[in-house]
Amino acid sequence: MFKYTVKRLGQSLITVLIIVTIVFCLLRLLPTDYYFTEDQLMKFTDQQKHDALEAAGLLDPIPVQLVNFYNDILHLDFGESRRIQNGVPVVKVIGDKFGISMRNGLISMALSMVIGIPMGIMQAMYKEKLFDSIGTAYTIFVNAVPALVSYSLVLVFGSRVIGLPSMYSTRNPGPSSILPIVCLSLSSIAWYALWMRRYMIDEINKDYIKLARVKGLSTSTIMYKHVMRNAFVPLVQYIPANAIMTIGGSLLAERFFSVPGMGPLLTDSINRYDTNVVQTLVMLYSSLSILSVFLGDVCMMIVDPRITIASKGGKR
Amino acid sequence: MDENKVVEQNINEDELFHFVEYDAMKAEQIGYSNYSYWGSVFTNFLKRKSAVFMSCIFFGLVLFSFIALAIGKYNYAELVTDSSLAFISPNGEYWFGTDNIGRDYWCQVWYASQTSIKLALICAVGECILGVIIGLVWGYVRSLDRIITEIYNIFNSVPQIIYMTLIALMIGQSFWIMCVSIIFTHWLVMARNVRNLVFMYRDREYNLASRTLGTPIFRILSKNLLPYLLSVIILRLAMSIPGTISLESMLSYLGLGLDINTPSLGILLRNARAYFLDYPYLLVFPAIIVSLITITFYLVGNAFSDASDPRNHV
Repeated sequence: MFKYTVKRLGQSLITVLIIVTIVFCLLRLLPTDYYFTEDQLMKFTDQQKHDALEAAGLLDPIPVQLVNFYNDILHLDFGESRRIQNGVPVVKVIGDKFGISMRNGLISMALSMVIGIPMGIMQAMYKEKLFDSIGTAYTIFVNAVPALVSYSLVLVFGSRVIGLPSMYSTRNPGPSSILPIVCLSLSSIAWYALWMRRYMIDEINKDYIKLARVKGLSTSTIMYKHVMRNAFVPLVQYIPANAIMTIGGSLLAERFFSVPGMGPLLTDSINRYDTNVVQTLVMLYSSLSILSVFLGDVCMMIVDPRITIASKGGKR
Repeated sequence: MDENKVVEQNINEDELFHFVEYDAMKAEQIGYSNYSYWGSVFTNFLKRKSAVFMSCIFFGLVLFSFIALAIGKYNYAELVTDSSLAFISPNGEYWFGTDNIGRDYWCQVWYASQTSIKLALICAVGECILGVIIGLVWGYVRSLDRIITEIYNIFNSVPQIIYMTLIALMIGQSFWIMCVSIIFTHWLVMARNVRNLVFMYRDREYNLASRTLGTPIFRILSKNLLPYLLSVIILRLAMSIPGTISLESMLSYLGLGLDINTPSLGILLRNARAYFLDYPYLLVFPAIIVSLITITFYLVGNAFSDASDPRNHV
């Protein structure tokens, strides 16, 4: 197990390096004018621009820049933000924002598990009854309708009918983050309900459940002791991923409600050509996603002892 | 007694059965089965009343978007901004009211729906073709598996929003650039689905037999494997249409999608974001129309993919 973990993490490290290198090279393809604010572009002469770029080491050949970049990373120096917050270290820019995203994300995740999983279970137990149709209609609606439209509906309903604030404000973080959290939960409730229902129904149709029924076990015992527990195994794999990815925030929901979170940071930094922020974020996101897949496998192994990932079938 | 009976039966059988003259026409008729793949797909599909109803609504909606543009009192190309006409609620002159700079909303909404549908269809077909070709090669040719898997991983790990932003910044924003960049980032899912299925069917006995008989790879791929994949491909195709419409609205909302002068759902909603709390009709009309389109595609796609699975045919 230990050997497997080390090997797998080593491979992931190489993948992350490749991804960061690609992004690094892609960013260097853009015209250098993007490095300056509009003010600077107006005032600076060509010579001044050239000097500024040279001082920042941006006119060196790309291999030299890459080596410098790796060197900095090894010293855990992720550089400074250039345009998002002038001169502030990238780590601080990210550090300020990820708390909000993570708090909203985790609340919404807890909410959607608490609502979504029982909803899926009920749908599977009363398959093709009224409750099932309502639940299916909900999942279809959430999956099919563009998020922008459903967010707008939530916004109109929340602020006009209930009277919640329509914009996030730092002075009043409690009530003003209710609507963003609801929006985040909409799709994940549907996700949990959909897959819980699917896996439960797959499980109910298996032979051992029929045997249990013939044996005379009550429906609730069968559901609780056999179906639910087995149906939960494939879902467990995604729970660490869902939890870890809350750090990234949600691009659309946070932009829509002006939440100062991580979601819009990546596109903003690309738009404003803040290369250091982009590189750090890409590195962060790709390592988090690789880590969460790995943790998902581990979780699945803990929940279901029949699954082993370390040995590759050599024993058979 | 028993022996007598048997003897009797034998005699009877001899009398009953006699050779028929060989007739090529009749031989054909016996061997002929009425089964046709697409025939059964459509019969199965037509049995689903709700799906048929929804597809009628969809075609009606597409048709009506052309009629609506034709009968509207304003032409999209000739809209002028006039702030004295801003925020007029729907009435006889402006059927869907006017937006914040006094332009007729009716023609904008219908034009935007057409743009979204057109974009979604082009992207769905494009990513389907690219994805299926790459997926088939990926799954079938063993020596390429490793390389394409690595390429896939790298493509898949970089957040898509980076590609989208870079393309928007470097190349520009227009309808066709948007199509290409969506296809470019979205063939991955289709390719992986197809690849996994090809893996399942590649080494079945009938394919082994085909290969030993010297059937060219292209024929094995197109005749032996592709029919099995059809229902999955259709499902993915149908699901990608609401997906693309959603994505387009999100990207346009973020300012990474179409350019401002091509109205689409995302642009309309972005423009309306500041005002629709006070003027809800700015939200309601585009929202209803586009939700109808996406929900319809979702349901019809599911029904059609069920119908196109040969295992569900009798």
